[in-house]
Amino acid sequence: MRMRLSQILISFALSAALLIGLEVVTSTILPALGWHEYRLTFNVLIILFLAIRLDSPAVPWMIMALQMIHSVFSIEGWALGTLAGLIVMTSANYLKDLLHLTTAIMTMITVQLFQMIWYVTVTLIICLKISNFDKFGMIIWSFIPGSILLSLISPLIFWVLEQIWRVPSDSGPRGVEI
Amino acid sequence: MKLIQESSKTKIVSNLIVSMLAIYGISQKQFKLDQPSLFHRIVTEVISPVQEGLASSKESMSSLWENYISIVDTSKENNILKKQISRLESDLTSMEEMRKENLRLKRLLNFSDELSHQRVMARVVGWDSANEFKVIRLNKGSRHGIKTMAPVITDHGLVGYVYRVTENYSDVLTILDQNNRVDIVVERTRTHGIVEGVFNFKCALKYIMRNEAVEVGDKLITAGVGGIYPKGIKVGMITDIAKENFGMTLSVEVVPSVDFDKLEEVLVLIPIEGVQAQNVTPAAPAVEKKI
Repeated sequence: MRMRLSQILISFALSAALLIGLEVVTSTILPALGWHEYRLTFNVLIILFLAIRLDSPAVPWMIMALQMIHSVFSIEGWALGTLAGLIVMTSANYLKDLLHLTTAIMTMITVQLFQMIWYVTVTLIICLKISNFDKFGMIIWSFIPGSILLSLISPLIFWVLEQIWRVPSDSGPRGVEI
Repeated sequence: MKLIQESSKTKIVSNLIVSMLAIYGISQKQFKLDQPSLFHRIVTEVISPVQEGLASSKESMSSLWENYISIVDTSKENNILKKQISRLESDLTSMEEMRKENLRLKRLLNFSDELSHQRVMARVVGWDSANEFKVIRLNKGSRHGIKTMAPVITDHGLVGYVYRVTENYSDVLTILDQNNRVDIVVERTRTHGIVEGVFNFKCALKYIMRNEAVEVGDKLITAGVGGIYPKGIKVGMITDIAKENFGMTLSVEVVPSVDFDKLEEVLVLIPIEGVQAQNVTPAAPAVEKKI
């Protein structure tokens, strides 16, 4: 499936708008309702979709741009997530024959698996930056509840993104070329 | 075939360039202080008013959740009656909320009279969207005189310091964050240590030797060293002490004196240039006494 540049730009703009909306929910609405303990990191979910479902040289740049938007809402910055996103994308490329996001359960399991790769990467880099590996387990553990919730809602978010990117949901393994 | 190979080459080059940029970005990243980029400044100024608007309608959101969504299964008549009651309750709640806010602001102002810093009152409009960072966004920025490294407090104690500032908004690295370390003194024993954020809205007190006579319930105040926080601001209370079989120090758990779950307004203390050195130390006993 080939998309025109204008279509790619529109789909990307819509994904960015979705990310901004979801980041506002996480950073403002949920804390205002008393949800402080765990954050739902929706940027991970949107980037996972791009990394797993799309196949284009533009994907790394789109991951970087989405992470730059995320950095407005978090001191994490853009670079950590970009590197994690690229590692996930490369892993997905190697596992492409095994990935079939045809059912909600498969989507949840796949998303949970790649979230773990993401969080291990991010935690390793954070521990390297702060020169303290004592906190590795604690940081990873703090991601688990939020990541399970994200996996549970991932079929819905992926469905929305499939509409935005006009990717057929039964397209099987990775590699919907745009 | 040739086309596929070219596409594959472009992907590899694209991946490599972005990876290198990311690695460079990681090497430059600081978790203790940040200068926002132009992109960050612009997007923050555009998006944060939305966050501010939503944060200020917190009461309405809570009312919506508690008074409307949770009663969808009851009968229509009950719905009408409950809506009437909830409307009245909502009015009462907002009046009560205004009364509480008034009280809080008065307490904050009285408290801050005793500090020799210029002070800026600000509202919390958002939290960091990443799990591993405990950062809050305030609705005041450089236009209101806020500077990086300025301490942030409430009448209950220390919140953190200003990490980055844009024109109208600023981000505060709270004491719950693992990157924020506060030099403290145990009020009763005058033992020095360092408090840092751990997890679950708690902190850890580090570098307390095994022979120190600290106890559960001991209060911790800022030591005034390090150049960020004035001396004598309440930080928290020791809630658990564990003596491991190894090591020279104790494992101490601290609960912050500020209830971060209910944090709404804070005071940002701006050191008055030139008079800071004289003012901070004399003010300390007054602060200690008050907190």
